[in-house]
Amino acid sequence: MNKPVRGGGSDDQRDLDLIARWKAGDERAATELVERHAAALARFAVSSGERNEVDELVQDTFVRAFNSLDGFRGDSSFRTWLFTIERRLLLDRRRADKRRRDRTELQESDSATEYDALDSVVADETQRRLQEAVARLSPTQREVFALRVAEGLSYKEIAEAVGTTEGAARVHYHNAMRAVKEFLDE
Amino acid sequence: MNDCPNADIRDQLPDLLHDRLDMSMRAAVMAHVDACVDCRAELELLRSVHGMLVSRTPRVDIEYIVGALPKARSQPARVVARRPMWSDWRIAAAVTVLAVGGGSLAVLRQGATPSVVDTSLVAPMAVQPDAGAPGSSTGATAPPAGSTSVARIATTVGGSGAGEQGVADLPTTARLADLNERQLRALLDEIDALQAVPITEPEPVTIRLDGKATSPEGA
Repeated sequence: MNKPVRGGGSDDQRDLDLIARWKAGDERAATELVERHAAALARFAVSSGERNEVDELVQDTFVRAFNSLDGFRGDSSFRTWLFTIERRLLLDRRRADKRRRDRTELQESDSATEYDALDSVVADETQRRLQEAVARLSPTQREVFALRVAEGLSYKEIAEAVGTTEGAARVHYHNAMRAVKEFLDE
Repeated sequence: MNDCPNADIRDQLPDLLHDRLDMSMRAAVMAHVDACVDCRAELELLRSVHGMLVSRTPRVDIEYIVGALPKARSQPARVVARRPMWSDWRIAAAVTVLAVGGGSLAVLRQGATPSVVDTSLVAPMAVQPDAGAPGSSTGATAPPAGSTSVARIATTVGGSGAGEQGVADLPTTARLADLNERQLRALLDEIDALQAVPITEPEPVTIRLDGKATSPEGA
């Protein structure tokens, strides 16, 4: 079946080294950790429908992570752990913003309309179609699809980040891929 | 856009995109993709989606994020108060002395105490002063000073075996001075007939023939 190389092996070790250095008082280690993972967290946030205050979300994720680094046991990669934290923050945000519609979390029924309004700067038609196709996915499908396609996480890592099983993550991915294809074929 | 029926290969297209396959698997997937139109199209779609997600992501301000991080909690190594080396040696020496001393004491005590005391054998062996000793409540019947109860001696030497018959006719209160020639001979014979080696380990016997000193009647 799927036998991905754990390409992050050395990356994971590097993260652990940086964490140890930060715990020992090296502030530069924190900067490097942020540099290594901030972009991925921002991508995940945007892929999940977050458009406003992405910096704040990523910042909150790191703050929470660094405040609870003692609880990080290294069972998963540091990045997967960050995704888990960020996803919880996203869910908290969505609950808090439920009455406010100023977020770009697109409902499946009106995603295309809202998307068009919010993303008028997208010039490329292909990219616009792709964005729309992804935006139409269910929240869970979108998360799994983004982590698989944009970050290259394995199903096991996705399951840890999203809080589901490996098999369910695989099903979500293939359903998402099928939905995207169908949308693009319309 | 159709799905390739080879689900295993399709499953690994994202890993191929992110270069997360080992060399052999990568070669196998690449060979399949080269020959499969559907997988080529899907791989191209994955590249496009990846590019779109990356391009849509705003640039994050690293300094802004780092500025909000908690300061590193430098955790100095815990300083454990270490006792001086000489203190350790003194404790070890004290423990050794206690162990050796205690062991020696236990061995000595074990050697001084009879392991098995058979009162049926010990009691008759002990020839004690007659019951007329000072402090005894039966002092009225105490024998005269310098005399020893022949019955006790007879009991002692004839506690078992044929001796009981040889001296059976002796009066219980008989004294050596009261025995006639025949009785004395019988008693000596009984003594001679004793086994040279006792059956049991001899226990310490306390024979105190100091009736003179203890008798209230004196000489």
